[in-house]
Amino acid sequence: MELIVGIPRALLFYKYKDLWLQFFANLNIKTVISPKTNKEIIDKGSSYVVDEACLSLKIFMGHVDHLQNKCDYLFIPRVACLNKNEKMCTNFLVLYDLVKNTFEDCKILMYNVDVENNEYEFDGFLKIGKTLGFSYFKTLRAYQNAKKYEKEKRRQKYLLETRKLRSPHLKILVVAHSYNLYDDFVGKPILEYLESQRIAAICSDITTGDEKVNTSISHSIYWTYNKELMKIIEDTLNHIDGIILISTFPCGPDSLCNELIIRKIKSKPILYLTCDNNASDTGIITRLESFIDILKYKKERSTNDQQYN
Amino acid sequence: MQKCYLGIDIGSISTKGVIINQNNDILYSDYIWTEGNPIDAVKRLLKSLEKNFDKEKYQIVGVGTTGSARKLIGTILNASIIKNEITAHAIGTISKYPDIKTILEIGGQDSKIILVEDKIVTDYAMNTLCAAGTGSFLSSQAKRLNIDVKDFGNIALTSTNPTKIAARCTVFAESDLVHKAQMGYKKEDIIAGLCKSVALNYLNNVGKGKKIKSPIIFQGGVSKNIGVKKAFESLLKKEVIVDENGHLMGALGVAILAQNEKEINFDFNITNLNFTTIGVECDKCPNHCEIITIRKDNKLIDAWGNRCERGAIKN
Repeated sequence: MELIVGIPRALLFYKYKDLWLQFFANLNIKTVISPKTNKEIIDKGSSYVVDEACLSLKIFMGHVDHLQNKCDYLFIPRVACLNKNEKMCTNFLVLYDLVKNTFEDCKILMYNVDVENNEYEFDGFLKIGKTLGFSYFKTLRAYQNAKKYEKEKRRQKYLLETRKLRSPHLKILVVAHSYNLYDDFVGKPILEYLESQRIAAICSDITTGDEKVNTSISHSIYWTYNKELMKIIEDTLNHIDGIILISTFPCGPDSLCNELIIRKIKSKPILYLTCDNNASDTGIITRLESFIDILKYKKERSTNDQQYN
Repeated sequence: MQKCYLGIDIGSISTKGVIINQNNDILYSDYIWTEGNPIDAVKRLLKSLEKNFDKEKYQIVGVGTTGSARKLIGTILNASIIKNEITAHAIGTISKYPDIKTILEIGGQDSKIILVEDKIVTDYAMNTLCAAGTGSFLSSQAKRLNIDVKDFGNIALTSTNPTKIAARCTVFAESDLVHKAQMGYKKEDIIAGLCKSVALNYLNNVGKGKKIKSPIIFQGGVSKNIGVKKAFESLLKKEVIVDENGHLMGALGVAILAQNEKEINFDFNITNLNFTTIGVECDKCPNHCEIITIRKDNKLIDAWGNRCERGAIKN
């Protein structure tokens, strides 16, 4: 019988989907991905975790629930550390245990990345290969191939997003973790709204993801993904009209880092949106609308000034 | 025949309307309670505006709506422009106070700060999910102390020694208030302390990190409370303006914005039409979107709330 691996469409899926899916495809393993986030998934996920957990984690658990009985193995990554002296949000460390203890009968495909303890990305894939019965070389080839594919995808994505920086329309950098940015209940409606208003929305997930980045916004922040976001702000700041920060309630790293960004970046207007599952769209739309108005008036004013001078 | 423009601001608590001429002068204005029924409130508002309206002299050629029910009322009135309340408030205020730098606003459910530089809005902030320190908080505390919220400000002014009340969160403020009352603090001191805590809470939350420059204007329902105004002045050590027409600024702003739109022919007859809204739940996917449909004399004119095409309701 054919083996099926289930992958929740949540959290790190959005960041590593090219690498993961290509790796499984190279090994001819069938994968099933949970559907796009919907209300049922959020409600279900919320019922599994404590109230204090962030919305993104609740969404993740909803996706895991959806995959129950639909696959032989659940792919639940544990990403504890990507670079020495850097940290990840604790959510990414506990996913394995959380799922294991919530859904007792499920079989989990173990994937662990913990650079500080000498477990690199390839070691994680090697473990998967071993569990599924593939030789070292077959796994290595599948990994290298997938890595190449991922690199090309990221290059395309980078070009796509940076091209928007030359748009004649208003340019807004939308800063959020990719799992929030592309989630159908969190960031997607915001991106769609911006598009409907003819705004060039530059998505913040355009770093290579493999190299350690440093940012002048803060030298002491140690969360890898937040550092990447800060770096993107720094790099694009002179080419954009404004910044929108999106975070899910109550994200720990974001609440510190976004506050820091707001305090340090004074040259461009910033809108900070916190999403929760009970917030209706209207509050978000009101804030977006008025933010766009501010940017529009500002731009009109500065083009007028240039004409007079 | 002179051209004029109608602006309506439909908030959660009150509905405001103005009719202005081309020079932005307010010709007619009115202010009524929304009472949870925006359509009915607007009908009542229009009826009262129509009573004094000189139909021989003026013709309304533009309509704008703002406030939380702006889309609903805008659709019904076939408005020329539908604008969010932040932009509308700023434009209305700037038209009356061209030099204004900071707009503080505390309404029934929300509070915001708008920073203006050289007649354009440069920055703003709104309260987050939490409604601490807004009008509804003050009125529930007034009820607890068994006094009319209208007298709040004047009672606060009689206090010489405002009691300290935790301002961070409504729940803590409330338990603090009960505690202080039981300890034997005077009522006026507690009320003055409450006013101060509202102002302090606002500056720490909404106004956090913002440079508050003079001239400063204070608007929204809570601005009618002189105690809070005085508290702002003593905390900021700057003069704070309160305009007696402060509540009309949103309606004024959106009426001004309507001047730049394509002209329409507005007819007061609209108040005689029968508008109904019906909420339906879409069952075509697990999202269960709540869709609101607007009917004019039982004919569907618009619907919204669906997240995707599947939920689109068509005639």
